[in-house]
Formats: sequence, structure tokens, C-alpha cells
Amino acid sequence: MLDHFTLMVLHALLIAVFFAFLWKREKQERWRYFWKVFAALVLGAVALGWLMYPFPRP
Amino acid sequence: MPESAPKPAPGLPLPLPALMAAAWLVPGLGHLLLGRRSRAAVFAAVIVVAFVVGALLQGELIFPQSGDPLSYLAFIAGLGNGALFFVARFLGFGQGVVTSPSYEFGNTFLLTAGMMNLLLVLDTHDIAVGKKDW
Repeated sequence: MLDHFTLMVLHALLIAVFFAFLWKREKQERWRYFWKVFAALVLGAVALGWLMYPFPRP
Repeated sequence: MPESAPKPAPGLPLPLPALMAAAWLVPGLGHLLLGRRSRAAVFAAVIVVAFVVGALLQGELIFPQSGDPLSYLAFIAGLGNGALFFVARFLGFGQGVVTSPSYEFGNTFLLTAGMMNLLLVLDTHDIAVGKKDW
């Protein structure tokens, strides 16, 4: 069973590949866009997780 | 500067509605029929992997339920997977195990796969009518 973080990274990876190929034409552009989307999704989720830390579910 | 009118791509392999239906039914098929082979392969791989992971994580292909408006949206997103949706239901996948710890993750993968495929249908349309030339 994969842990939640690994699943989140896999999800981010698939989304980033998809949009890089959907919206960017050149190879270099695609790589840049891929890393941007991938980092935004993974780092954004981790940041959001920490922001939610002081507000546990009742 | 006036925007140039979109030019239809010459020699469409199928009429536009059929092309879009094909793009919906089989992820990547629309791009393949339009000669975008490498992109078709990447799109197909991404969507199939997302769908299979979602099904293995015991996610649910949601059907509309009265009194739950979000279930309609989830149904549309799930249906976006095209033939994968029907094949999975036929084989008994995508029933969803609510008590499974991976249930929500599975749903997320299944819904995202469907929405990505719907975007591919729109992209196929744009290529076919000449709004996008690659």
C-alpha cells in the first residue's frame, strides 16, 4: 500500500506531464512547465498541510 | 490587428463529431487520428495510468444521486473516461469501498483522469478546426 505522500506525488506527476504536453509545444518549454506545475502541486500541498496543522478536525 | 479566422485542418479522417466521440471513447485516439502520435501516446498513458491507479485504490465511479448535486458533476467527470468507464463498471471495478483508507485518493485519480480526457476532446476539436496547429 502506497503512503499518502507518494500517491500525492504520483498524482502531481501525472497532472504535470499532461499539462506540459497539452499546453507547451517545444521540448524545453515542456520541461520548464512540467517542473513548475509539479513543484507547485507538491510544495503547495505540503504548505497547505502545514497551514491546516493548527486547525485539527473536531 | 484583426484575429485571423481559424482554418479547418485539411483532410480530417472523420467528421468532427465522430472525431470528438472517438477522442472521448479512447484516450489519445483523437490526437492519433490527427497524426499527433507522440502526444497521443503520452496522453493515453497518463489517463490510463491515472484511471487504473484510481480503480486499484478502490475509488468509485460515481453515479448521480438525487439530493446530492455534486454527484452529478462527479458523474460527468467519471463519464469523461469514455470506454474505460464502461469497461471498468462491466468488470466490477470502480464500485468504491468507502471504508478503504485509499477511497478518496482513488476517487481523485478517477475524476482527474476523466477531466483530463474531456480536455483532450476539446484539444482535438481545436486541432481539427485549425485553432491549434500542433
